[in-house]
Amino acid sequence: MNLKPAASTRAIGALFLGAVLVLALVGTSHAQETIVIGHAEITEAYDPAHAFNPTSGMVNRIAYDTLVTFPDADASAIEPLLATSWTISDDGLTYTFTLREGVTFVDGSPLTAEDVVFSFERLKNVQAQPSFLADPIASLEAIDAGTVAITLTAVRPSFLAELANTAFSVTHAATVRANGGTDAADAAESDAAQAYLNQTSAGTGPYVLESWSPQDRTVLVRNPDYWGEAPFFDRVIIVNIPEAATQRVALVAGNVDLATDLTPDQVVALEGEDDIGIYLGPGRWTHFLLMNRDPEVGGPMADPLVAQAVRLALDYQGYRDLWAGSVTPGSNMWVGLAGAYGQDQALERDLDRARALMAEAGYADGFEVTMHYADLTWAGVSLSTNAQKIQADLADIGITVRLLPSEVQVALEGYRNGTQGFGYWFWGPDKLDPVDFLEFLPGGKVAGERARWMPEMIDEATRALIARAGVETDADERMAIFSQLQDYAQQDSAFAPFSVPAVQTAFRADIEGYVWHPQWGLDIALLSRK
Amino acid sequence: MPLYQYIVRRVLFAIPLVLGITVVAFLIANAIPADPINANLPQSALNNERLVAAFREKWGLDQPLHVQYLTYLGNLLQGDMGVSIRTNQPVLDDIRQFLPATVELATTSILVGLLLGVSFGIVSAVWRNSPVDYLVRVLALIGVSFPVFLLALIGLSVLHAQLGWTAGPGRLGFLVSRPPHVTGLYTVDALLAGQWATLRDALWHLVLPSLVLGMYVSGIIARITRSSLLEVLSSDYIRTARAKGQREAFVILRHGLSNALIPVVTLLGVLYGNLLAGAVLTEAIFAWPGIGRYAYRASTSQDFPAIMGVSMLIAFIYVVANFIVDFLYFFIDPRIRYA
Repeated sequence: MNLKPAASTRAIGALFLGAVLVLALVGTSHAQETIVIGHAEITEAYDPAHAFNPTSGMVNRIAYDTLVTFPDADASAIEPLLATSWTISDDGLTYTFTLREGVTFVDGSPLTAEDVVFSFERLKNVQAQPSFLADPIASLEAIDAGTVAITLTAVRPSFLAELANTAFSVTHAATVRANGGTDAADAAESDAAQAYLNQTSAGTGPYVLESWSPQDRTVLVRNPDYWGEAPFFDRVIIVNIPEAATQRVALVAGNVDLATDLTPDQVVALEGEDDIGIYLGPGRWTHFLLMNRDPEVGGPMADPLVAQAVRLALDYQGYRDLWAGSVTPGSNMWVGLAGAYGQDQALERDLDRARALMAEAGYADGFEVTMHYADLTWAGVSLSTNAQKIQADLADIGITVRLLPSEVQVALEGYRNGTQGFGYWFWGPDKLDPVDFLEFLPGGKVAGERARWMPEMIDEATRALIARAGVETDADERMAIFSQLQDYAQQDSAFAPFSVPAVQTAFRADIEGYVWHPQWGLDIALLSRK
Repeated sequence: MPLYQYIVRRVLFAIPLVLGITVVAFLIANAIPADPINANLPQSALNNERLVAAFREKWGLDQPLHVQYLTYLGNLLQGDMGVSIRTNQPVLDDIRQFLPATVELATTSILVGLLLGVSFGIVSAVWRNSPVDYLVRVLALIGVSFPVFLLALIGLSVLHAQLGWTAGPGRLGFLVSRPPHVTGLYTVDALLAGQWATLRDALWHLVLPSLVLGMYVSGIIARITRSSLLEVLSSDYIRTARAKGQREAFVILRHGLSNALIPVVTLLGVLYGNLLAGAVLTEAIFAWPGIGRYAYRASTSQDFPAIMGVSMLIAFIYVVANFIVDFLYFFIDPRIRYA
């Protein structure tokens, strides 16, 4: 455009006037509902094949859909999303998904099996951060427009849970290709769609990415053609506020509707404020005691009867009172997983039985033991506070606990080498699938390397059950197997899980629908304003 | 010495300086006893040898150090700063994106600091050893020694959240849309686009952070101005000016200050460089998406191309700032012309 100065000034003036008029019209026609979220942004990308962190998880959760998903608040089941149903072949290797009908991408094109194949092949071949998730895939096939088959290299019961990760977002193949994308084997070098997908989304989700200014803000607008229930907010603005202290200021001042990264003590301090709402729900960390099964290392703690006595001596209610909103797990299987035992099936304190078990093990007069733990506060929970309570609980059955806190890296060294006879640790699931629990049973890494609890120490039938748990893909069968394994672990285990502390978040009091999820953190499409 | 000769000499001085900086920055970045693989690949991918090897090859990490350095230098001479491991974007693009926010803040801060600092310095020197002098000196000491991030937090929670006197965090209100990108400086871009409301909002958001950073700058400048002015005011030519019956204000401002400001100008070059490079905490607290945050994130994830890029940028800024200072000397201090 080659305008003379006077003309360009006039043009700008006219544009400005036009913009004001448009704004005035919009303003009077209907109120746009906008939510502003204060968040410590840590992403470098929104392209689903490149992004792998909490920020991209939260954004891609609403910009894209995956084939399957989890319920709103936990990973207790696998639910349909873009796939309405699926079958698993008898050998457990091939998953065949039937795609939902009537789903369109933001440009109006219908969802097809080709898009699924393209998206997953691209994820695998770009060799970016989340690509490892697609590594178990041997081949992909679009059987027809509405059916896609995925064949794995080996049986993998956790595959459906992994498919719920936003890395497996389905993108529109044609749009991505038109912007430099490719799913070819050399995509690591030849794919050039990341810049495009960082600025806009090519998905089927309730929102469309409108703009991203890294380290500044991310804006999403409602997808008018979304196949599911329309979300409440027209516009979502996620502003990057790296400091929790600033997030608190912005929340109290009303600059933001919700702050995602407040520390638990900040949340506690906001409790009781009229215009602030608080969310408490089970977090993803299970706190547990480890009792080494090697008598050389564990001493009396290696005795299964003593381990059982310890499990019955812990004052579970006390830990719940200590950490508001926390729950008692029924096993080392994280409480949000499918079939996991929660507070209803958890053990309860029974000092008489515990003392009887101590006597049966030959320790009627008790003994002294050293407890190792990391001297830190994790997700707002002070390990030292819990350690003192453990000390008091076990004193009731004659066990005198000497506390040995150390710097976390030092403590981890002993934990990972299996040289701690008695330790206090916490665990968050690597995969949101029951197989994660196998870590804590003989044959698993935590049980074997850290607690020296070996397969040969348990009976044949339980060994067989554990082996089946690693390969069974039928949902009902898995449920039955994992129930038996949890029952077993309540009786005989080198571990004593005792607390799942709460996640805490604060928001303006007029915001409703906040739910925390271990996979994507916050699902913005569930939020509304009173 | 003529002006052109002076300039050529300064530029020649800068070349070995910049080259030396590339070597030092490269060695320091590589001396960190940690593997960038750990910082840039998720745990589960680390077990996958194919992915790890591909990562090393892609970023040249499988090459010996001197080869890596020479490759970097060769590319740099062609204006190519490489691609950031983290953002997967050319480092130059990243810098273009994050630098304007910092420039905008550093510039307003240095102006605030200069204005406050020089005024305080004059007041303090003229009324030496009076209660005003003591007050200014205490304030200057607080400005220099009070942690800037703490001042920033107090400012935000009291002046913004409780009293509502200043704007909140960020470069613009969270609901305000960004002006069309021309320079990346929101004030300038809003002005160019004729978006007066946006301009006002951008200026409004600059007030508190500029005051906070300006407090620090003014503390240093006030002290230098005071001591320098005191020295000048006791010199012979000032006595002569007074003896000629010139008005005291004229003597102080025209004769005294213009000479007393020479060390302040020297300091400005360094201070401006400091503000551009070292406002990491302030940027974090004010949610200011600037180059300081970028540098911090680059170093915590051992993103070598980005670390090098930022180091080069900061070195370049110092060189340019000091070059300008030297250039100013040429005009304000006649002694240099005849040296």
